[in-house]
Amino acid sequence: MPPLAGWTLTVTGFVGKSPALDHVMRLLVNDFFIPLVICLILLVLWLGYSDRTKRDRVQRIVMNAAVAIGISALVVKLINNFVNPWPRPFLVNDSVIRESARRAAETIFYFPHDPTFPSNGATIAFAAATGVWLGHRKAGAILYALATLWAVARFYAGVHFFVDVVGGAAIGILTALFISKIFMPRVEPFPTWVMKLCRLLYLA
Amino acid sequence: MSLDYFILVFLSSLGVYQIVAIPAKLDGLCFFKHPIIQYIFGILAIIGAFGWFYTSSDRNIHTSVEGSQQLGLFLGSIIASYVFTAVLASIMQAKVNSKGGIPREGKQYDMGIETLKKTTLFGGIMSSLRKERKDKV
Repeated sequence: MPPLAGWTLTVTGFVGKSPALDHVMRLLVNDFFIPLVICLILLVLWLGYSDRTKRDRVQRIVMNAAVAIGISALVVKLINNFVNPWPRPFLVNDSVIRESARRAAETIFYFPHDPTFPSNGATIAFAAATGVWLGHRKAGAILYALATLWAVARFYAGVHFFVDVVGGAAIGILTALFISKIFMPRVEPFPTWVMKLCRLLYLA
Repeated sequence: MSLDYFILVFLSSLGVYQIVAIPAKLDGLCFFKHPIIQYIFGILAIIGAFGWFYTSSDRNIHTSVEGSQQLGLFLGSIIASYVFTAVLASIMQAKVNSKGGIPREGKQYDMGIETLKKTTLFGGIMSSLRKERKDKV
Protein backbone atom coordinates (compact mmCIF):
# COMPACT_ATOMS: atom_id res chain seq x y z
CA MET A 1 0.00 0.00 0.00
CA PRO A 2 1.31 3.45 -0.85
CA PRO A 3 1.72 6.28 1.66
CA LEU A 4 -1.46 8.29 2.33
CA ALA A 5 -3.63 5.38 1.11
CA GLY A 6 -6.18 6.33 3.75
CA TRP A 7 -7.01 9.48 1.81
CA THR A 8 -8.58 7.27 -0.87
CA LEU A 9 -11.09 6.07 1.69
CA THR A 10 -11.98 9.66 2.65
CA VAL A 11 -12.37 10.89 -0.93
CA THR A 12 -14.17 7.88 -2.40
CA GLY A 13 -16.52 8.09 0.58
CA PHE A 14 -18.11 11.13 -1.08
CA VAL A 15 -19.14 9.16 -4.17
CA GLY A 16 -22.87 8.61 -4.26
CA LYS A 17 -23.65 11.37 -1.77
CA SER A 18 -24.14 14.11 -4.37
CA PRO A 19 -25.47 12.98 -7.75
CA ALA A 20 -24.62 16.39 -9.29
CA LEU A 21 -20.98 16.11 -8.20
CA ASP A 22 -20.85 12.52 -9.47
CA HIS A 23 -22.15 13.66 -12.88
CA VAL A 24 -19.48 16.36 -13.11
CA MET A 25 -16.80 13.90 -12.05
CA ARG A 26 -18.01 11.34 -14.62
CA LEU A 27 -17.28 13.92 -17.31
CA LEU A 28 -13.98 15.13 -15.83
CA VAL A 29 -12.58 11.64 -15.28
CA ASN A 30 -13.38 10.57 -18.85
CA ASP A 31 -10.49 9.39 -21.03
CA PHE A 32 -11.33 11.88 -23.78
CA PHE A 33 -12.82 15.06 -22.30
CA ILE A 34 -9.95 16.87 -20.58
CA PRO A 35 -7.24 15.56 -22.94
CA LEU A 36 -9.25 16.85 -25.90
CA VAL A 37 -9.92 20.23 -24.27
CA ILE A 38 -6.17 20.55 -23.57
CA CYS A 39 -5.35 19.67 -27.18
CA LEU A 40 -7.93 22.15 -28.50
CA ILE A 41 -6.36 24.88 -26.35
CA LEU A 42 -2.99 23.99 -27.88
CA LEU A 43 -4.63 24.26 -31.31
CA VAL A 44 -6.01 27.71 -30.45
CA LEU A 45 -2.52 28.81 -29.38
CA TRP A 46 -1.01 27.36 -32.55
CA LEU A 47 -3.24 29.36 -34.88
CA GLY A 48 -4.70 32.13 -32.78
CA TYR A 49 -2.21 34.97 -33.25
CA SER A 50 -2.28 37.45 -36.06
CA ASP A 51 1.21 38.79 -35.49
CA ARG A 52 3.69 36.58 -37.27
CA THR A 53 6.53 36.92 -34.73
CA LYS A 54 4.28 36.22 -31.78
CA ARG A 55 2.67 33.28 -33.57
CA ASP A 56 6.09 31.79 -34.35
CA ARG A 57 7.07 32.10 -30.69
CA VAL A 58 3.83 30.55 -29.42
CA GLN A 59 4.04 27.74 -32.00
CA ARG A 60 7.48 26.87 -30.60
CA ILE A 61 5.95 26.70 -27.13
CA VAL A 62 3.16 24.43 -28.37
CA MET A 63 5.76 22.23 -30.10
CA ASN A 64 7.73 21.98 -26.84
CA ALA A 65 4.53 21.04 -24.97
CA ALA A 66 3.63 18.42 -27.59
CA VAL A 67 7.11 16.87 -27.38
CA ALA A 68 6.86 16.95 -23.56
CA ILE A 69 3.54 15.07 -23.75
CA GLY A 70 5.07 12.38 -25.97
CA ILE A 71 8.26 11.97 -23.94
CA SER A 72 6.43 11.95 -20.59
CA ALA A 73 4.13 9.19 -21.90
CA LEU A 74 7.25 7.22 -22.83
CA VAL A 75 8.72 7.82 -19.37
CA VAL A 76 5.54 6.39 -17.81
CA LYS A 77 5.77 3.33 -20.08
CA LEU A 78 9.41 2.84 -19.05
CA ILE A 79 8.60 3.17 -15.35
CA ASN A 80 5.74 0.69 -15.73
CA ASN A 81 8.12 -1.83 -17.29
CA PHE A 82 10.38 -1.82 -14.22
CA VAL A 83 8.25 -0.67 -11.30
CA ASN A 84 4.73 -1.63 -10.31
CA PRO A 85 4.81 -0.88 -6.59
CA TRP A 86 1.16 -1.40 -5.67
CA PRO A 87 -2.14 -2.44 -7.25
CA ARG A 88 -5.07 -0.16 -8.12
CA PRO A 89 -7.05 1.02 -5.06
CA PHE A 90 -9.93 -1.34 -5.91
CA LEU A 91 -7.54 -4.31 -5.91
CA VAL A 92 -5.64 -3.78 -2.63
CA ASN A 93 -5.72 -6.25 0.27
CA ASP A 94 -7.28 -3.78 2.71
CA SER A 95 -10.95 -4.64 2.30
CA VAL A 96 -12.30 -1.27 3.51
CA ILE A 97 -10.28 0.76 0.99
CA ARG A 98 -10.85 -1.85 -1.72
CA GLU A 99 -14.63 -1.85 -1.39
CA SER A 100 -14.88 1.95 -1.18
CA ALA A 101 -12.68 2.38 -4.28
CA ARG A 102 -14.53 -0.42 -6.11
CA ARG A 103 -17.88 1.29 -5.48
CA ALA A 104 -16.46 4.65 -6.62
CA ALA A 105 -14.90 3.24 -9.80
CA GLU A 106 -18.12 1.38 -10.62
CA THR A 107 -20.22 4.53 -10.18
CA ILE A 108 -17.92 7.09 -11.80
CA PHE A 109 -15.60 5.31 -14.22
CA TYR A 110 -14.60 1.71 -15.03
CA PHE A 111 -11.94 -0.70 -13.77
CA PRO A 112 -8.65 -0.02 -15.55
CA HIS A 113 -6.09 -2.78 -15.14
CA ASP A 114 -2.87 -1.14 -16.30
CA PRO A 115 -0.33 -0.10 -13.63
CA THR A 116 -1.57 2.60 -11.27
CA PHE A 117 1.74 4.39 -10.57
CA PRO A 118 2.32 6.95 -11.96
CA SER A 119 -1.01 8.29 -13.18
CA ASN A 120 -0.75 8.47 -16.97
CA GLY A 121 -3.36 11.22 -17.21
CA ALA A 122 -1.73 13.42 -14.57
CA THR A 123 1.65 12.96 -16.23
CA ILE A 124 0.66 14.09 -19.73
CA ALA A 125 -1.70 16.84 -18.53
CA PHE A 126 0.94 18.40 -16.26
CA ALA A 127 3.58 17.99 -18.98
CA ALA A 128 1.36 19.95 -21.38
CA ALA A 129 0.56 22.60 -18.76
CA THR A 130 4.21 23.12 -17.80
CA GLY A 131 5.36 23.19 -21.42
CA VAL A 132 2.87 25.95 -22.17
CA TRP A 133 3.27 27.81 -18.86
CA LEU A 134 6.99 28.34 -19.50
CA GLY A 135 6.15 30.57 -22.46
CA HIS A 136 2.50 31.61 -22.02
CA ARG A 137 1.46 32.16 -18.41
CA LYS A 138 -2.31 32.66 -18.99
CA ALA A 139 -2.82 29.56 -21.12
CA GLY A 140 -0.47 27.64 -18.83
CA ALA A 141 -2.60 28.52 -15.80
CA ILE A 142 -5.75 27.30 -17.57
CA LEU A 143 -4.01 24.05 -18.49
CA TYR A 144 -2.78 23.60 -14.90
CA ALA A 145 -6.37 24.01 -13.70
CA LEU A 146 -7.57 21.37 -16.19
CA ALA A 147 -4.71 19.02 -15.27
CA THR A 148 -5.56 19.39 -11.57
CA LEU A 149 -9.25 18.71 -12.24
CA TRP A 150 -8.37 15.57 -14.18
CA ALA A 151 -6.04 14.33 -11.45
CA VAL A 152 -8.61 15.05 -8.72
CA ALA A 153 -11.33 13.28 -10.72
CA ARG A 154 -9.15 10.16 -11.10
CA PHE A 155 -8.48 10.18 -7.38
CA TYR A 156 -12.18 10.72 -6.61
CA ALA A 157 -13.14 7.84 -8.92
CA GLY A 158 -10.98 5.45 -6.89
CA VAL A 159 -8.75 4.45 -9.80
CA HIS A 160 -5.59 6.09 -8.41
CA PHE A 161 -4.03 6.69 -5.03
CA PHE A 162 -3.06 10.25 -4.10
CA VAL A 163 0.62 9.32 -4.53
CA ASP A 164 -0.08 8.11 -8.09
CA VAL A 165 -1.43 11.45 -9.27
CA VAL A 166 1.18 13.50 -7.41
CA GLY A 167 3.92 11.25 -8.79
CA GLY A 168 2.47 11.58 -12.30
CA ALA A 169 2.27 15.36 -11.98
CA ALA A 170 5.89 15.54 -10.80
CA ILE A 171 7.09 13.38 -13.71
CA GLY A 172 5.11 15.50 -16.18
CA ILE A 173 6.45 18.78 -14.80
CA LEU A 174 10.07 17.59 -14.68
CA THR A 175 9.87 16.12 -18.19
CA ALA A 176 8.43 19.36 -19.61
CA LEU A 177 11.12 21.42 -17.88
CA PHE A 178 13.80 19.12 -19.30
CA ILE A 179 12.30 19.23 -22.80
CA SER A 180 11.77 23.00 -22.92
CA LYS A 181 14.93 24.15 -21.17
CA ILE A 182 17.52 21.54 -22.14
CA PHE A 183 16.41 19.13 -24.87
CA MET A 184 14.77 21.37 -27.50
CA PRO A 185 17.49 24.07 -27.54
CA ARG A 186 20.12 21.34 -27.91
CA VAL A 187 18.46 19.59 -30.86
CA GLU A 188 18.35 22.70 -33.04
CA PRO A 189 18.02 22.94 -36.01
CA PHE A 190 15.53 20.00 -36.00
CA PRO A 191 12.68 22.03 -34.44
CA THR A 192 13.30 24.79 -37.00
CA TRP A 193 13.15 22.25 -39.82
CA VAL A 194 9.88 20.89 -38.46
CA MET A 195 8.46 24.42 -38.35
CA LYS A 196 9.61 25.03 -41.93
CA LEU A 197 8.00 21.79 -43.07
CA CYS A 198 4.76 22.80 -41.33
CA ARG A 199 4.93 26.18 -43.07
CA LEU A 200 5.49 24.51 -46.41
CA LEU A 201 2.34 22.44 -45.82
CA TYR A 202 0.34 25.53 -44.74
CA LEU A 203 0.09 24.11 -41.21
CA ALA A 204 2.10 26.80 -39.43
CA MET B 1 -15.45 4.31 -30.47
CA SER B 2 -12.48 5.24 -32.70
CA LEU B 3 -14.78 6.63 -35.39
CA ASP B 4 -16.83 8.52 -32.80
CA TYR B 5 -13.68 10.05 -31.35
CA PHE B 6 -12.47 10.98 -34.85
CA ILE B 7 -15.79 12.73 -35.57
CA LEU B 8 -15.70 14.52 -32.19
CA VAL B 9 -12.22 15.90 -32.86
CA PHE B 10 -13.05 16.70 -36.49
CA LEU B 11 -16.13 18.75 -35.64
CA SER B 12 -14.71 20.47 -32.56
CA SER B 13 -11.50 21.46 -34.37
CA LEU B 14 -13.64 22.70 -37.27
CA GLY B 15 -15.30 25.00 -34.73
CA VAL B 16 -11.93 26.05 -33.32
CA TYR B 17 -10.64 26.95 -36.80
CA GLN B 18 -13.67 29.14 -37.44
CA ILE B 19 -13.29 30.91 -34.10
CA VAL B 20 -9.51 31.48 -34.23
CA ALA B 21 -9.61 32.59 -37.86
CA ILE B 22 -11.18 35.87 -36.68
CA PRO B 23 -8.50 37.16 -34.25
CA ALA B 24 -5.73 35.59 -36.36
CA LYS B 25 -7.20 37.33 -39.47
CA LEU B 26 -6.95 34.08 -41.45
CA ASP B 27 -9.57 35.02 -44.03
CA GLY B 28 -8.61 31.99 -46.11
CA LEU B 29 -10.16 29.73 -43.44
CA CYS B 30 -13.42 31.65 -43.02
CA PHE B 31 -16.74 30.17 -44.09
CA PHE B 32 -18.65 33.38 -43.46
CA LYS B 33 -18.12 37.07 -44.11
CA HIS B 34 -19.63 38.17 -40.79
CA PRO B 35 -17.49 37.44 -37.72
CA ILE B 36 -20.53 37.05 -35.44
CA ILE B 37 -22.03 34.34 -37.63
CA GLN B 38 -18.64 32.68 -37.72
CA TYR B 39 -18.29 32.79 -33.92
CA ILE B 40 -21.76 31.32 -33.52
CA PHE B 41 -21.02 28.59 -36.06
CA GLY B 42 -17.74 27.75 -34.32
CA ILE B 43 -19.27 27.60 -30.86
CA LEU B 44 -22.20 25.51 -32.10
CA ALA B 45 -19.81 23.08 -33.83
CA ILE B 46 -17.84 22.59 -30.60
CA ILE B 47 -20.87 22.31 -28.31
CA GLY B 48 -22.67 20.11 -30.84
CA ALA B 49 -19.70 17.77 -31.17
CA PHE B 50 -19.23 17.36 -27.41
CA GLY B 51 -22.98 17.17 -26.82
CA TRP B 52 -23.41 14.44 -29.43
CA PHE B 53 -20.38 12.46 -28.22
CA TYR B 54 -21.35 12.42 -24.56
CA THR B 55 -25.10 11.95 -24.95
CA SER B 56 -25.08 9.31 -27.68
CA SER B 57 -23.43 6.62 -25.56
CA ASP B 58 -21.76 5.88 -22.21
CA ARG B 59 -18.16 6.99 -22.73
CA ASN B 60 -16.81 5.82 -19.37
CA ILE B 61 -16.16 2.30 -20.52
CA HIS B 62 -12.96 0.41 -21.17
CA THR B 63 -12.14 0.90 -24.86
CA SER B 64 -9.35 0.07 -27.25
CA VAL B 65 -8.71 3.80 -27.91
CA GLU B 66 -5.82 4.49 -25.59
CA GLY B 67 -2.65 6.54 -25.39
CA SER B 68 -0.78 6.59 -28.66
CA GLN B 69 -3.84 5.57 -30.67
CA GLN B 70 -5.76 8.52 -29.21
CA LEU B 71 -2.91 10.85 -30.15
CA GLY B 72 -2.77 9.43 -33.67
CA LEU B 73 -6.52 9.81 -34.12
CA PHE B 74 -6.35 13.37 -32.78
CA LEU B 75 -3.55 14.41 -35.16
CA GLY B 76 -5.21 12.73 -38.14
CA SER B 77 -8.52 14.32 -37.33
CA ILE B 78 -7.28 17.90 -36.80
CA ILE B 79 -5.31 17.75 -40.06
CA ALA B 80 -8.31 16.31 -41.94
CA SER B 81 -10.48 19.04 -40.43
CA TYR B 82 -7.94 21.71 -41.38
CA VAL B 83 -7.78 20.49 -44.99
CA PHE B 84 -11.58 20.27 -45.12
CA THR B 85 -11.89 23.83 -43.73
CA ALA B 86 -9.30 25.26 -46.12
CA VAL B 87 -10.78 23.50 -49.17
CA LEU B 88 -14.38 24.38 -48.31
CA ALA B 89 -13.41 28.01 -47.60
CA SER B 90 -11.58 28.12 -50.96
CA ILE B 91 -14.66 26.85 -52.79
CA MET B 92 -17.06 29.14 -50.91
CA GLN B 93 -14.90 32.22 -51.38
CA ALA B 94 -14.32 31.43 -55.04
CA LYS B 95 -18.09 31.31 -55.51
CA VAL B 96 -18.70 34.54 -53.63
CA ASN B 97 -15.90 36.42 -55.31
CA SER B 98 -14.41 35.09 -58.51
CA LYS B 99 -11.28 37.11 -57.78
CA GLY B 100 -10.96 35.61 -54.32
CA GLY B 101 -8.51 32.93 -55.37
CA ILE B 102 -6.30 35.20 -57.44
CA PRO B 103 -3.29 36.30 -55.40
CA ARG B 104 -2.35 39.95 -55.14
CA GLU B 105 1.06 41.23 -56.06
CA GLY B 106 3.74 40.34 -53.54
CA LYS B 107 1.86 37.70 -51.59
CA GLN B 108 3.83 34.86 -53.13
CA TYR B 109 6.63 35.73 -50.72
CA ASP B 110 4.44 34.78 -47.74
CA MET B 111 4.73 31.27 -46.43
CA GLY B 112 2.46 28.89 -44.54
CA ILE B 113 -0.71 30.06 -42.86
CA GLU B 114 0.44 33.68 -43.25
CA THR B 115 -0.69 33.23 -46.85
CA LEU B 116 -4.23 32.52 -45.64
CA LYS B 117 -4.52 36.11 -44.43
CA LYS B 118 -4.66 37.31 -48.01
CA THR B 119 -5.93 34.40 -50.01
CA THR B 120 -7.44 30.92 -49.74
CA LEU B 121 -5.55 27.62 -49.70
CA PHE B 122 -6.15 27.17 -53.43
CA GLY B 123 -5.04 30.76 -54.03
CA GLY B 124 -1.86 30.17 -52.02
CA ILE B 125 -1.03 26.94 -53.85
CA MET B 126 -1.69 28.57 -57.24
CA SER B 127 0.48 31.51 -56.22
CA SER B 128 3.36 29.20 -55.23
CA LEU B 129 3.07 27.24 -58.47
CA ARG B 130 3.06 30.44 -60.52
CA LYS B 131 6.12 31.69 -58.67
CA GLU B 132 7.93 28.40 -59.27
CA ARG B 133 7.11 28.54 -62.98
CA LYS B 134 8.23 32.16 -63.17
CA ASP B 135 11.52 31.30 -61.41
CA LYS B 136 12.19 28.47 -63.91
CA VAL B 137 11.60 30.81 -66.87
